[in-house]
Amino acid sequence: MSSDRDSILARVNAALKPLPKRAPLPAWDDELVVLRQARGDIADPWALFAERLRAVNGTPLTAVADLVALLKKSNWSHGYCDPALWERLRPDFAAAGGFTVETVFDRTRVDDYHFGITRSVGAIAETGTIILGDTTTANRLSALAPWVHVALVEPARIFTDLTQAVAAFGQDPNIIWCTGPSKTADVEGILIEGVHGPGVQVALRA
Amino acid sequence: MKFQQIDQFAAKLRADTRASVYDGSKKGYDARTKTLFDHYPDPDRLRHLAGEIKQHVVENLDTYLPQVEAKLKANGVTVHWASDAESANNAVLSIMRARGATKMVKAKTMVSEETELGHFLEKHGVECVETDLGEFIIQIDGDHPSHIVKPIIHKNRREIAKSFEEHGLGAYNDDPQTITRRARAHLRNKYLEADVALTGANFTSAESGRLVLVTNEGNSRFCLAATKCHIAMVGIEKILPRDRDLGLLLNLLARSGTGQQLTVYTEFITGPKSPAQPDGPEEMHVILVDNGRTDVLASDCRDILRCIRCGACLNVCPVYRQASGHAYRSVYPGPVGAVLSPLLAGKKFPELADLPKASSLCGACNEVCPVDIPIPDLLLRLRNKGKQAGSEAAAAATPPMGMWALMASQPAAWKAALIGGKLIDVVPHKLMPVPALRAWESSRTLPSWKGGAFRKWLKTRPNPSAPKR
Amino acid sequence: MLNHQRLPLTGKRVQLMATCLCDAFYDDVARATVEVLEYLGCEIVFPEGQTCCGQPAFNGGDWAASRKVVRHAVKTFAGEEPVVVPSGSCAAMMFHGTILEFEKEADLPAVEQLGRRTWELGDFIVNGLGVTTWPGRYDAKVAFHRSCHSRGTDSGPAANALLASIEGVEVVPFGEGEQCCGFGGTFSVAFPNVSTGMGTLKLEHIRAVSPDVLVSGDMSCMMHLGGLAEKEGKPIKTQHFAQVLRDALRNANLL
Repeated sequence: MSSDRDSILARVNAALKPLPKRAPLPAWDDELVVLRQARGDIADPWALFAERLRAVNGTPLTAVADLVALLKKSNWSHGYCDPALWERLRPDFAAAGGFTVETVFDRTRVDDYHFGITRSVGAIAETGTIILGDTTTANRLSALAPWVHVALVEPARIFTDLTQAVAAFGQDPNIIWCTGPSKTADVEGILIEGVHGPGVQVALRA
Repeated sequence: MKFQQIDQFAAKLRADTRASVYDGSKKGYDARTKTLFDHYPDPDRLRHLAGEIKQHVVENLDTYLPQVEAKLKANGVTVHWASDAESANNAVLSIMRARGATKMVKAKTMVSEETELGHFLEKHGVECVETDLGEFIIQIDGDHPSHIVKPIIHKNRREIAKSFEEHGLGAYNDDPQTITRRARAHLRNKYLEADVALTGANFTSAESGRLVLVTNEGNSRFCLAATKCHIAMVGIEKILPRDRDLGLLLNLLARSGTGQQLTVYTEFITGPKSPAQPDGPEEMHVILVDNGRTDVLASDCRDILRCIRCGACLNVCPVYRQASGHAYRSVYPGPVGAVLSPLLAGKKFPELADLPKASSLCGACNEVCPVDIPIPDLLLRLRNKGKQAGSEAAAAATPPMGMWALMASQPAAWKAALIGGKLIDVVPHKLMPVPALRAWESSRTLPSWKGGAFRKWLKTRPNPSAPKR
Repeated sequence: MLNHQRLPLTGKRVQLMATCLCDAFYDDVARATVEVLEYLGCEIVFPEGQTCCGQPAFNGGDWAASRKVVRHAVKTFAGEEPVVVPSGSCAAMMFHGTILEFEKEADLPAVEQLGRRTWELGDFIVNGLGVTTWPGRYDAKVAFHRSCHSRGTDSGPAANALLASIEGVEVVPFGEGEQCCGFGGTFSVAFPNVSTGMGTLKLEHIRAVSPDVLVSGDMSCMMHLGGLAEKEGKPIKTQHFAQVLRDALRNANLL
């Protein structure tokens, strides 16, 4: 391997040596890439986030009762919930009745779970993006394998635009920006939702 | 060679395939136009800026490569270097052997197409399953992708349904949703049984060592949630200087390729999973792949290394739309492929030197490129290179220019030709052994010859009257 | 992408580059160019020794042959006056293509000097002379084809604006205007199937808006599209915009 490294770097150096000068790195202003609607002080980040999430066929919800109703409607009765969240959510699920919710995700029974409820790192308003991370997702599979993924989003953690979200990366080794349900248009360009990941992407306002 | 291969391929292309390719490409182009121009007052400014940033990286790879390596190592990633396809494939195999692993799931990466990793692994007893729906269909069909973003743009639902049936994925059903659900169910098991995941990377940050993966289906997420070892094959040019440059490039990439603001999943990976996380890779490897890129770097066409593989140039290209991706006989088709493929071929350049000729130099590709690559200029340089290399493939069906150049640099000869050209109006063209004439008249008429008429008018007209203004 | 910064005009004396296509097939386009420029008060000089801009060989990859022809052009068009040419592609060759093929040549400065004072006709009228509206009358529905070599330059908008300003002209847009007509120089004969496919598609879009005339700033495109249409048995009227400008003046007895 070290000989491959040496020969590659030698070839790179040889290739660039004849250049009289090297192209400089330009600076650029964040403003340049921020969407019109996301400029300036956004009075209600959740409102913009919800609008953009709907635009990518995601489902923004503001009450646990609404989540329960949505799940009930399609008979999605068996799911997983991050134990850190369950105390908060249990009352509304109990009130509706008919749900089985596990707080440990069993990857040998991946297709048993209709829904998975997890925490999020934050969100991005201008794109309707939910931000997940290793540190806030107790099991990666729980946010991915079930047909319905519900991410709890705290309004105070909603970034306005991509540049802010990038600036806030931090140390998490696995940050994922989720922008709507999984999809493909590989077959004749026809949009199908729910490929390997969730077919329904919910953001529940904390 | 009497004919240009790409033109022949286009002539023989099935009408329904051409229609699929045309529709898919046009959809992509229209979607790009809409989102870029709806969202930004001056998209060209963004493209030019992104182009400058990537050109800076290309011209400073000698600084950035060691920097990226150091960052990756500091993040707990094992770094490998691969000069060529064989070296890259062997690196993958030895990582798997070290783990006693025999099953791999892979996300889409064009670098692995270059090295033909799948076939190599199969030969060595490793199961390697493509998880991107389009690539999965290509794999079971023994086919090749024809677009860098939409691999099965050339296929229709009936062909796919037949394939699925032939490969035990259910009775014939050409409903796209059914096809997708079947793939979901089948591949789910594959993810969970596999030990190793292989991905590419759209970008690598020199500032943080972060790898960025851009997908829609959730397949790379699943690869990295279900398996214990992550191998990323990354071209040496896929570097961005700073994390913040992702704010620009990510805003351009999906819009350019598919008209989306962002693809559904954008993953930022700095290393193996965090200790408390039960799912995901405990071990992460990055293979930095050359495979001809340093040749491109040394050439006068190094600008092509800016490419971020969005596919916008394919979508807009009128030649791509007529001929389809397979016409280009290489991993990378379309405008980017017409530059990259012959150069990556190294000593085999003359065999692919016809690719840069398959263009009317319309410039639409440069207009849509998110990193502003001057593709027409690069095509022209490669045409010159092809001529100097004596490439037969490039010379096919091309009128020789020596005589013409002589005539066009000697006014007396030129004027004689202006008069003599009248022959074309008088002698039946069937009798003229001029291939170019034949090719023109296969579908077009020629205007009548007026050689010398303008000059005569200019000389013999009465003095022009005094200017009116 | 095209490097088209022009040197400022020194006056109204111009050298005319007629183009090899007009020399061979389209004498009336060159004639209309002269008449239009003289109407605007220009004094036309026509260097007799002119032949071609060198583009066919350049595009074909035979840069040595092309340079021979360009060097002849540099001699032929020596001087300081603007060189005006009724073709976007020839103009682009002179101010962009030549720079590429003379990159390593000692006479690059002379070639650059010629390039920097070469103007495509529409660009010259609107941005050189400052003429933004056109007098006279021309009653027609016009489909304007902006040729690819004017992409990224001011030529397309210039010609379009002039045409649209003529009394009686209705410029009708047609579908997929950004797509190439398929000529591409030797491409048209080396890739006849693809070239024809592209042209046929464009004709479909043009015919869908039923124009009276198809107008462009490049006769190469018109030769290709016109030739295709005629062979199909459904000929279409094609004109260079210089001819439209000239005809508009004639119709109003201004010429």
